[in-house]
Amino acid sequence: MAETSEAKASTSPPGGDAGGEEDKRDERMLECNICLDTARDAVVSMCGHLFCWPCLHQWLETRPSRQVCPVCKAAISRDKVIPLYGRGNTKQEDPRNKRTEPENTSAFPGFSFGDGFHMSFGIGAFPFGVFTSTFNFGDSRPSAAPRGTAQYDEEQFLSKIFLWVAILFVLWLVFA
Amino acid sequence: MFNIAAKRIIKEIKEVINGDQVEDAALKLELVNDNWMDLRGEFKGPPDTPYEGGAFKLEIKVPETYPFNPPKVRFMTNVWHPNVSSVTGAICLDILKDQWAAALTLRTVMLSIQSLLAAAEPNDPQDAVVATQYKENPELFAKTAKHWTNIYAGGPNHVWEFNRKVEVLIDMGIEEHKARVALSTNDWDIEKATEHLFS
Ligand SMILES: [Zn+2]
Ligand SMILES: [Zn+2]
Repeated sequence: MAETSEAKASTSPPGGDAGGEEDKRDERMLECNICLDTARDAVVSMCGHLFCWPCLHQWLETRPSRQVCPVCKAAISRDKVIPLYGRGNTKQEDPRNKRTEPENTSAFPGFSFGDGFHMSFGIGAFPFGVFTSTFNFGDSRPSAAPRGTAQYDEEQFLSKIFLWVAILFVLWLVFA
Repeated sequence: MFNIAAKRIIKEIKEVINGDQVEDAALKLELVNDNWMDLRGEFKGPPDTPYEGGAFKLEIKVPETYPFNPPKVRFMTNVWHPNVSSVTGAICLDILKDQWAAALTLRTVMLSIQSLLAAAEPNDPQDAVVATQYKENPELFAKTAKHWTNIYAGGPNHVWEFNRKVEVLIDMGIEEHKARVALSTNDWDIEKATEHLFS
C-alpha cells in the first residue's frame, strides 16, 4: 500500500502551478505546426492552421503534386494563406514576397542566375540541393525593394557576394 | 549541423518524456548514441488484443529532410501481424509513405503503429502468409500473435500448446526461432512444418 501511494506522489506534478501551465499552453498556441517552434513570418491556412512561411513553403515544395495542409490535409496553396502581422511588426511585409531562407538549413542552396542558367552543387553522394531554397538573382525576381532605395542597393550587393561565393566554390571544386 | 530536423527531434523526445496525455505513459523514445537521426521507440501492446502486455521496440531512422519527409520505422521486436513483416519488421502504414504530413510527430507515428496492431488491414498486407492466416483462420492467428507476444515482447500470456510444439522441433535439432516461424506459417501442423524445413 505504502508503495503505491508513494509512486502516485512522485508522478503528480510538484506544486499547483496552474498559471505556469496556462502560459505554456498559450505559447504552444503560437507554435508552427512544422518546426514546432514559435512561428516566424507566420501565415495561417484557410483551415486555420499556423505555420512559419518558410516551413510551409518548404512543405509545398517537397510535394508539389500533393498540396495539402500538414495538419488536417485540407487543400492548401501559396495564394490561399493569410500572413499574420502582430503589433510591433512595423514593416508588415508579406512573408511570401521575401526570399525564403529556412534559417536552419546548412546545405548550399541551388543558385540560379537570370533566365535559364541554373547550377546546383554536389560533392560525392551528398546532394547540396536537398533543401530546396533557391536564390534568384536577376530581373525575374520580384524585388520587394524599389530601385534606388538603400534596401535595393543592399540586395544588389548581396547578389554580388553570392555570385562570388559561387564562383569561388566552383574554382575550389575544380582545383581541390 | 543543427537544422529543423535536429531541433524538432529534441523537442519531440522531451514531449514524449514529459507527456501529460494518458497514452504517453506507454511510450518510450530515446536517441541511440546521441545521434538525432537514429532513435529507439517502444510502446505497449494495445489492451484486448493478442499483443496486450507486450513491449514492442521500434527502430526509427530520421532523414535529414525531416519533417518534410517521413521517418523510416520498423519493428525490432518480432511481431505476428498482417501489416508487419515477420522477417524484417517492415511496417505497411500509409502515414509512413505517401500519407505522411509534416505536422505528424514520432509520438503520433508510434500511436498509429500501436493502433495498427489493434486494427489490422489484411487487404493491404506486408506479410502475405500472416494475412492469409488472419483471414482464413482468425482464431489460430490470434493465438499465434499472442504466442509471439509472449516469447518476443515479454507478454504475460503463455500459449503452452505452441510452446510444446516448438520444443518438439528443437529436439529434432532445429533452431528455436526457425522452428517457431515454420510452425506459425504452417498453421502449427508439425508434419507440414518439418516438411517445409527439410525440403
Ligand atoms: Zn516553422
Ligand atoms: Zn489544416
